Amino acid sequence: MADSTRSDRSQPPVTRRSFLRAAGVASGAAALGPAVLRRRAEAQETASPVRPDPAGKRGGTLRYGILNAPAHFDVHQSGTVSNLGPQSPMYDTLIRRNPKDGQTIIPDLAWKWDIAPDGKKYTFHLRKGVKFHDGADFTAEDVKATYERICRPPRGVVIPRTPLFATVGDIVVVDPHKIEFRMTESRPRPYMLGAFASGWNIIVRKKSLEDNGGNLRQVMNYPGTGPFKHVSRQDKEVWIQERNPGYWNKGLPMVDRLEIYNLPAFSPELGSAFLSGKVDYARIMDPVSHRKAKEMPGVTAVAFNQSVVQAFFMNIPKNKALADPRVRRAIHLAMDRPTLVDVVKDTAPMQVGGFVYPFHPMSTPRAELDKRLGYQKDIKPAVQEAKRLMKEAGYANGLKNLDFVVRDLATFRLWAVAIQAMLKEHLNIETNLRVVQTSVWFEEALAGNFDLAISAIVSSLMDPSELFSAWYGKDGPSNYSRWTNPAFHDLAAQIERELDDTRRTAMVRKAEDMLENDPPLIPVSYEQIADAWYNKVHGQNPTTFFGIYDVVRWDNVWLS
Amino acid sequence: MQKYLVRRALFALGTLVGVSIVIFVVLRVLPGDPLVAILGVEGHSRMTPADRVRIMADLGLSAPLPVQYARWISDISAGQLGKSFFRGDTVAELIAHRGPISAEIGILALVISWVVGLPVGILSAFKPNSIPDGLARALSVFFIAVPNFWMGMLIVLGLLFWFGYKAPILVVQVWQDPWQNFQIVIGPALVLGLAQGAYIARMSRSCLLEVIGEDFVRTARAKGLRERFVVMRHALPNAMLPVITISGVLLGFVLGGSVAVEQAFGVPGLGRALVTAVIERDIIVVQNLVLLYALIFVAVNVLVDLSYAWLDPRIRFG
Repeated sequence: MADSTRSDRSQPPVTRRSFLRAAGVASGAAALGPAVLRRRAEAQETASPVRPDPAGKRGGTLRYGILNAPAHFDVHQSGTVSNLGPQSPMYDTLIRRNPKDGQTIIPDLAWKWDIAPDGKKYTFHLRKGVKFHDGADFTAEDVKATYERICRPPRGVVIPRTPLFATVGDIVVVDPHKIEFRMTESRPRPYMLGAFASGWNIIVRKKSLEDNGGNLRQVMNYPGTGPFKHVSRQDKEVWIQERNPGYWNKGLPMVDRLEIYNLPAFSPELGSAFLSGKVDYARIMDPVSHRKAKEMPGVTAVAFNQSVVQAFFMNIPKNKALADPRVRRAIHLAMDRPTLVDVVKDTAPMQVGGFVYPFHPMSTPRAELDKRLGYQKDIKPAVQEAKRLMKEAGYANGLKNLDFVVRDLATFRLWAVAIQAMLKEHLNIETNLRVVQTSVWFEEALAGNFDLAISAIVSSLMDPSELFSAWYGKDGPSNYSRWTNPAFHDLAAQIERELDDTRRTAMVRKAEDMLENDPPLIPVSYEQIADAWYNKVHGQNPTTFFGIYDVVRWDNVWLS
Repeated sequence: MQKYLVRRALFALGTLVGVSIVIFVVLRVLPGDPLVAILGVEGHSRMTPADRVRIMADLGLSAPLPVQYARWISDISAGQLGKSFFRGDTVAELIAHRGPISAEIGILALVISWVVGLPVGILSAFKPNSIPDGLARALSVFFIAVPNFWMGMLIVLGLLFWFGYKAPILVVQVWQDPWQNFQIVIGPALVLGLAQGAYIARMSRSCLLEVIGEDFVRTARAKGLRERFVVMRHALPNAMLPVITISGVLLGFVLGGSVAVEQAFGVPGLGRALVTAVIERDIIVVQNLVLLYALIFVAVNVLVDLSYAWLDPRIRFG
C-alpha cells in the first residue's frame, strides 16, 4: 500500500480569468461533487486479495480438530488458541496476513491504509456495505470502540496485546468509513502493521461492548463480520458454524459449514481422531501421530514455526550466584540444546534457537548460530568455557540445593530431568525438582519463589521489539528472572524507534550478543506446530506461517 | 426399619456435609491461581492488582470463606448448582449433558463385573485348584493389577492402529443413536467392569469355598439335590452378602476410575469434565461434581445396606 506523501507544487498567481474558471469549477463541483466523489470513492475501493479459487468447489463441511475449550469467549482478552481456533472464522480484522503465505499483510475490513511519512498517523479506509451477523452496519465507530478497548482496556479487562499499541494516542473517526490512529511516537512499520494484522484484534460491534460493560468473557456469540456465523456450541466438544451468506468478500467462504472439534494440542485424542478420519484437518498434533499421518496416502503433514519459546529462568534477585552474568552464561553454555530437542521429539516438535526467533530475518542466521558456543552439536568447547566462567565467578565447586520449579507438562518434565543431569554433570550444580500445576507455576514465578524454573512464554508478534519488551524488558510481563541490564534496555528502546530495517537488524544482532553474555533467560528451544490434513482440503498450507494466531479464518478453504 | 432408615439418612447427610467442607476448603487452600486459566498466561502476567481485585469479586471469590461456603450450600439447597467460572455454562447443564454417559458407563461396568465375576468365582470355587480355577485366578490378578487408564490407552491404540477405528468424539445419548452411544460407553465400561469383576470373582470364590463346606450344603447334597440347585439355591445366596458389600465399595472405584478411564478413552463424560475443571481450577464445577460423586456413593451404600434384609431374613434392622 502506498504511503501518503505531501505534494509541494508552486502555485501560479491568481488572475481574473483563472479566478472565474476556478469559481465556475467550484460551483459545478458544489452541485455535482458529492455524487461524483462518491462514485470515485466507490470505484477506488478494491476487492480483497483473498479470492475464491476458480478451480475450487463450493459446499461441504470442514471438520477441524483443535483445542477448543476456551476459558471465556473474549478473544481480545485471550492468549490461547482455544479462543482463536474456534472463534476467528466469525470475525474480521482491519488488515490481515495473506492466507497464501501467512506473511504478507493485505487489506481486510480496511481496503486501504495510509501511513504518514513520520510514522505518526495511520489512516484506514474502511469497506462500505459490510454488515455484522446481526444485520447492523459496520462503521468506523466499531473500529474505534474495538481499538479504544484494546489500547486502553477498562478495569477488570486484561488484553495481552495492549502493549503493542502503547504509542497509539487519539483514535479519530474521520467519517463513517475512515479512521485515524494518531501515534504519540512512531514505531517501525512492520511492527505496527503486524500489530493491526494480528488475528487477535478482531473487530467487534461498539454496541456489543456497550451492552456488556466492556467485558465479553461470558458472551458466547457476539456478532462479527466474518465469513462464518455461529450455529451451536457444545462446551469442550464442538463449535458449529455455517457460511455467512452476506459476507462482504463475495464468493467466500467456500465451505458451507465448519465443525470445530475440541481436541487438545499434542494429545493422542487429536492424533487418533485424525488418523481414524474423524476430522479433516488437525492442528498441533503430537509427533508420533504426525509421523504416522505423514506415511498415510492422501494426507499432507507439515510442521511450521510457532511464536513460543521454551525458556529456563534464573531468579536473579533471590540467588546471589545467579545474579552473576558469568554463572548464567555458564548455565546457558552447559545446556546441550540438540539433545534437549531430541529428548522431547516424541512429545512436541522443537528447534534450537537463540534469544530472538531463529526464523526471524533479523536474528542471527542458522548457519552462524550453529557455530556459536552453546548451540553446537559438539558440546565440549561450550562446557569447557562454562567451567571456566564458573571458576572465574568463584563457583568452581558448583552450586547446591537450587529449587527448580517445573511446569507440569510432559515436555517440561522430560527436560527438567535432562537439564538437572546436564547441570550436575557439567557444572556440579545440584537442583531439587519441584513439579507444579500450570497455575501454581505462574503464581510461584510471579512471587519469585524459585531459583530455577522452566516454562513456555509467548509473544504476540515475531518482531524482536515485542520480545525485547515482553521477555527481556525491565518490567516485562514474562521477565520472570527479574533481569535488568540498562545498556540492553537503552538499545531495545532505540530498536523500537528505529525505522530503517538495515540499521535495526544491526542493532538486533548487537542486542543478541548482549543477551548471550548476560542471559535474562535461557532459550531451551522454540516450538513448532505440526498440522495434517486430508488432501481433499485445499487452500491452506501453513508451511510458511508464523504461528497459529494470524491466519485462522478458513474463508478461502475448499473441499474436493 | 424406619428408625434404621432415619439413622442411615442422618449418617449419609453427615458424610455429605463432611465431604462438602473438605472439598470446599481443599480447593481454596491448594496453591494455584484460577485467573491463569481464565486470562491465559499472557493476560495473567499483564494483570494489574486492581484488575485482580475486580475479577475475583466478579467470580465471587473475594468474600470471606464462611460466606462463600454458606452461599454454595444455600444454592445447592435451592437446586442451583452454579455456573462455571469461565464460560458461564451452568453445572446443571453439564451434568444433564454428560451425566447420562458416565451413568451408563458406571451401570454397564457394574453389570459386566457381575456377569463376568460371579460365574468365574463360582467355577473357581467348585473346581478349586483346577486349570480353569488357575486361569481364572491369574486373570483376576492381572485385571486387578493393571491400571485402568493404561488398559484403556492400549485398547484405544490397538483399535486405531490395527483397525483405523476410533469411537465417536462427541456425546451421543442412547436415545439419539443407540449404536453410536454403545461405541462410546463400551470401552470404558469393559475396562472398569473387568477390573471390578476380578474383585468379585475372588471374593465370590473365597465366600463360596467357605459356604460349600458348611453343614447345610452337605445336607442339601445328601438329600440328592442336583448340584446346580445346591449352588444356586443354597450356597450362593449365603455367599452373596460380602459380595454385595464389596460391590458397593467397588462402585466407588468405578466412579473414581471413570475419571482416568474417560480421559484415556476420550469419552466426554463427567469424569473428564472433572479432570478439566481441576486443571482449570474451575472451583464451582469441581466442588459440585465431587459432591455429586459423593452423593451417588453414599446413596449406593445405603441401598447396599438395605439389601441385606432382603437377602438374609436373619438380619433385622432396629
